[in-house]
Amino acid sequence: MPGLTPQPDRGSALIPRWRIQAGDYVAEARISRDGQLCVVGTGDGTVVGVDAGEGRELFRARAHDGGVLGLTISPDSTQLATCGQEPVAKIWAANGELQRELPGGGASWVEHVAWSPVGGRIATAAGRKVRVFGADGQLQTEMDPLASTVSALAWRSDGTALAASCYGGVHIWPFVAGAKNRHFAWKGSLISLAWSPDARVIACGSQDSSVHFWRLAKGEDSQMSGYRSKPKALAWDADSKLLATSGDADVTLWDFRGKGPEGSTPIQLEGHDAVCTHLAFSPHKTLLASGAPDKAVLIWEPRRDTRAVRHALLEDEVTALVWHPELSIVGGDAGGNVSMWAMS
Amino acid sequence: MKKIPVTVLTGFLGSGKTTLLNRILSESHGKRIAVIENEFGEIGIDQALVINADEEVFEMNNGCICCTVRGDLIRILGNLMKRRDKFDHILVETTGMADPGPVAQTFFVDDDMKELFALDGIVTLVDAKHVLLHLDSSSECKEQIAFADVLVLNKTDLVSDAELDALERRVVGMNSMARVLRSTNADVPIADVLDVGGFDLDRAVATKPTFLSPEYPFEWAGTFEVNEGEYLIELEEGPDKTMGLIAAYLSGDEEAGSPEAAERALRTWSSSAIQASPSSRLSVDGRRVTLQLDAAGPKRFYLRALEAGRIGLYTEHLPAEFQLRLSRGDAPLSIISEHEFAAGHVHDAEVTSVGIHLEGAIDGKRLNAWIGQLLREKGTDIFRTKGILNIDGSDDRFVFQGVHMLFDGRPDRPWGSEHRASDLVFIGRKLDRQALTQGFEQCLV
Repeated sequence: MPGLTPQPDRGSALIPRWRIQAGDYVAEARISRDGQLCVVGTGDGTVVGVDAGEGRELFRARAHDGGVLGLTISPDSTQLATCGQEPVAKIWAANGELQRELPGGGASWVEHVAWSPVGGRIATAAGRKVRVFGADGQLQTEMDPLASTVSALAWRSDGTALAASCYGGVHIWPFVAGAKNRHFAWKGSLISLAWSPDARVIACGSQDSSVHFWRLAKGEDSQMSGYRSKPKALAWDADSKLLATSGDADVTLWDFRGKGPEGSTPIQLEGHDAVCTHLAFSPHKTLLASGAPDKAVLIWEPRRDTRAVRHALLEDEVTALVWHPELSIVGGDAGGNVSMWAMS
Repeated sequence: MKKIPVTVLTGFLGSGKTTLLNRILSESHGKRIAVIENEFGEIGIDQALVINADEEVFEMNNGCICCTVRGDLIRILGNLMKRRDKFDHILVETTGMADPGPVAQTFFVDDDMKELFALDGIVTLVDAKHVLLHLDSSSECKEQIAFADVLVLNKTDLVSDAELDALERRVVGMNSMARVLRSTNADVPIADVLDVGGFDLDRAVATKPTFLSPEYPFEWAGTFEVNEGEYLIELEEGPDKTMGLIAAYLSGDEEAGSPEAAERALRTWSSSAIQASPSSRLSVDGRRVTLQLDAAGPKRFYLRALEAGRIGLYTEHLPAEFQLRLSRGDAPLSIISEHEFAAGHVHDAEVTSVGIHLEGAIDGKRLNAWIGQLLREKGTDIFRTKGILNIDGSDDRFVFQGVHMLFDGRPDRPWGSEHRASDLVFIGRKLDRQALTQGFEQCLV
């Protein structure tokens, strides 16, 4: 019960670098690979561009009629794509100028948009339809409709394949000549997807409070259950060895070294007062950031300590979390606050 | 944070859902309403946010076979909540053929939905003219009626009063908990459909008299004035081989059909009955008698009044069905007033309501075991459950409600001076009234 148990040690406070007010619920936040640009999408459909170094607002555009649902930045940091509560996605220049619209292919909202990590392609998901566009905005491919609405979309780290999850399993479409489409059936509603950086494992959170994963080489699958609620957030560390999962106040990490997590005891990180909803591993060092409705952003070194090493507080529940390549972290909350903190 | 109320509108194509939706939207000035539709309707109101979504029913892998939810609602409503000017009310319009179960369960199974939204009610529109075309053949049509908190019999101008009364008896026989409204063009008061509290335990209790009133085990009550002496009850052959009857004194100028008098009769009705073959001598003692009517020809029973006064006669079936006569000597006794209760047994062959009233205290542990097992085994066929219980050792009323296998309950306010008793209502498919009653009775202390 809050207030009756002593607050676990959360380490020293993170050092704030800048803070802005985005205007409404922070639905998504992204930082460009060159570290220059931070982009935030909000619940009222606004996209705000911020100089990631100083927090200076660069542009603010009304992007979608309803709220922003997805946001992605091109790997060369020159363009971004957004989607929201309308049936089109939009491509923008890095200065906030609208370049073109990408129709999702029906009346459904485009709920997901993902730029290939090597550039050249943008994938969208609207209802049961997955489409792939060129960087010029030309439609390249429309996949056969899935069995149900796409719940998550992710590119393979080398950009050679695209994966989507839905109720009924995971689909993988390769973009190399001769390779075949793959489908991993699972009778359950998958709600989140994370593809390991080494491309060997796809992990999905499931509506029935479990994490299901597939080792792609042989197509073997496993399930981790016992979560209090559905694991909305999943994150792989840069070495593809640790999978961090939400679904409880404690963050649970499964170790994929050696024989893998089956039958092993996971690492449990104790520090949040509410079910953790956001997770992000730093791109280089093995630092994990977590966020929850308790307003806290906690930083962990999961292999060394199960207590948080650093912490910061937002003003409302944490709704977005993203690392800057130079070991800073950006968090957003349901009240529109966006903060960047430095580790040192 | 106050939870946002959700109203589910169901009904077959052409029953008037879109008309009602447009009326709600045009009359709810200043309210921010979001509508989720699963088929293209003709909503002509600009200020409402109308979202079209494919209906996606998901099975939960939690070992509960009837636990299905609507994935599209979880996704869309979750996204809608990401804005500062949140909505005041959510309307979910289902397709004509939808089963309301998954919609309702969504708001009890998913953590996010449970936290943000409160299912206010299921409103089912019934095309009074055409519903009979589907009612016997369509399980969806039956489920929509069975799940409803409010049943709107619409297009009443297209049928006669007698047809309408027959339809109402039929739907009430299927779902005795719902409030029945009549309309010609879906013109029902908005508050009667948007502020129902159908899944709210406090409200379920507040509306107890209505949820029980159609469940009287007797169809008819008559008020008579008697003198001391013996009266004759004569019956011809009727639709049943037995008939339950109670004769009881009333106080002052009370009517037999008044809620207080009927409530007393209801209580005695649940105690065991005295079997009476023709020519038996009965008395005005307020006890339930089962008249044995399988002999051919007219059957006579003698009813002794020990003192003069006003009495109430309660019968399981309508007296006219057995040509029942009450007389003294050769003179028929004239009736002061009579009251027909909504028949508990104009039953659909498949979907029915079973209401059980028990005197005495309930053993909490036994009840838990019984309800738990019942819902596990029969949960697929039990659509909705509501109860107010007199638990042994507790001074508070215990209230609960359930959808299929999901149920929640808790102690409510103290009984105080109110008569302590237990009432339980099940709505479902192929319900075995006798088995349910026996199961419930075994929970008595």
